[in-house]
Amino acid sequence: MPGIYWLASYPKSGNTWFRTFLRNLQNDGDQPVDINDLATGSIASHRGWLDEVLGFDTAELTPDEVERLRPAVYRWALREREIGYHKIHDAYTLTSDDEPLVSAPLGALYILRNPLDVAPSAANHWHCSIDAAIAKMADPEMALARSRKSLPSQVRQRLLTWSQHVLSWVDAPGLNCRVIRYEDMLHDPLSTFGLATDFLQLPRNRLETAIRFSDFRELARQEAEKGFRERPQHTERFFRAGGSTWRDKLTQEQVDRIVTDHGAVMRRFGYLDENGDPVSERT
Amino acid sequence: MPDRFHYTCYGLTIQSQLPLPELLHAVSSVPEIAPAEVDIRIGPVAPEGLPGGTRLGPFLWVTVSSLWLQVPKVARFLVSEGREIVIDPEPGIDADSLRVFLLGSALGALLFQRGLLVLHGNAIRIGEQCMVCVGHSGAGKSTLAAGFLRRGHEILADDVVPVATDCRALPGFPRIKLWQDAADRLDIDTQALRRIRPEMEKFNYPLFDQFADRPLPVRWVYILGSHARPETLFEPIRGMARFQPLHANTYRVRYLEGMALKSEHLKLCGKLAGRIRLARITRPEKGFELDALIDRILADVAEHP
Repeated sequence: MPGIYWLASYPKSGNTWFRTFLRNLQNDGDQPVDINDLATGSIASHRGWLDEVLGFDTAELTPDEVERLRPAVYRWALREREIGYHKIHDAYTLTSDDEPLVSAPLGALYILRNPLDVAPSAANHWHCSIDAAIAKMADPEMALARSRKSLPSQVRQRLLTWSQHVLSWVDAPGLNCRVIRYEDMLHDPLSTFGLATDFLQLPRNRLETAIRFSDFRELARQEAEKGFRERPQHTERFFRAGGSTWRDKLTQEQVDRIVTDHGAVMRRFGYLDENGDPVSERT
Repeated sequence: MPDRFHYTCYGLTIQSQLPLPELLHAVSSVPEIAPAEVDIRIGPVAPEGLPGGTRLGPFLWVTVSSLWLQVPKVARFLVSEGREIVIDPEPGIDADSLRVFLLGSALGALLFQRGLLVLHGNAIRIGEQCMVCVGHSGAGKSTLAAGFLRRGHEILADDVVPVATDCRALPGFPRIKLWQDAADRLDIDTQALRRIRPEMEKFNYPLFDQFADRPLPVRWVYILGSHARPETLFEPIRGMARFQPLHANTYRVRYLEGMALKSEHLKLCGKLAGRIRLARITRPEKGFELDALIDRILADVAEHP
């Protein structure tokens, strides 16, 4: 059955890393896929995708008008012959017509990462201080590409707060959603990527090769050698440490703030222990 | 009020029930003697699309001779035979919103039906020829066009650039659409400008005497794009490789499916590809060095007269 699997995540949670895995899984090569050729589908917010299906310019519409039309665009993909795997950073929200933004997908793979590690990574990506990133992660009005004075190549994406983003997807009524954690991709790749592979209805025959080809050292090696085209201009490297570094990057006050803002969701997904303290990453 | 207003654009005479202030008035319209080539009127358009046609999208149908387009909460448009556009407005919609989609998608479809190659970009006059800058939405085409304007260049067409079989671009109407950000960059005060639609920070910028009102041969095409790196790339495309990018930068290329015009379109693409200088320009996403980019393009133009 054709349709869409969404690869959903809050920004800086491993979506690009997962796409390199997926590309290597689908590509029948004996070399790792070029990180500058990660054509695993589109991103939900890509203006070109919307314009092509709609037949008129979203550039002439307000962000609210565009949002109302997005479900019809994704429904149209049900007519495609093949399953599509597309990235999405939007939270799972309802439009003003009370319709899910991404209506009737085959499913959603939600990639979750410890918010203590998302914050410094997002600060680097958004070119702001860690405190500002923490504030954005707690802002229910947070959205990407929200400018109304110019024309970004992506349409507005509502993120909500980090916690709301997670819950919007994982608790969405009637949505076939599977969660994988970034930390498990790192420390237990075979079973984590294996589970994702099964969920996405893909064959397992290249699973181990794809994991090896999308190892962080391989990605960092390629980036050092030829650069990475999705890297924001002001950052030095996209594929950075990979592992958990928040203990070196956050002050105690920043850790406390994130735990205060997102404690309930962190506890639910194993990022806090029974005392409410952040867990140490397995080594 | 007259029951029809008379205009000219893209080399066509147009009569319209809807006033179209962006367009030039027809100089000598004697409609009784020479009927207009295009008729635009308000009327019913069936809500269910085109029976027997091809459905190309949730809001789009085509047949060999017609295109049906719905812009939800704005209007339905039926474009037929390259001669007629019927607009069925949603109750309470403002005329500005109707005109945005009429002068964009609907008129673009009509130009296709007339066998023209329609490029998605801006046409800028350079001497007795013209340069067309194409690229996806958000690439910076409007900002670049406004930059050329400030340098004293004339503009033939903004957004929709039809190219005739003799490879000349046809002049549209004397305005460009300008986002507030682009206006700020060029010190253009938008206070007195009319908004494209009431709720948008995007303006009608009239060209006055900087409108090139004659068809001009297309000599240069530049494909504008952006990337997340600090350098600007300038990559000429030569030989047969020129064909595909032209096709890809056709305005609403999907309209061609089901229109029975594909072979003519491809032929015209090939013909144009054979006579132009074509290059891909990739600029940094952040920090658009507009003046440097214009200098670079003009240097390339001078090298390839």
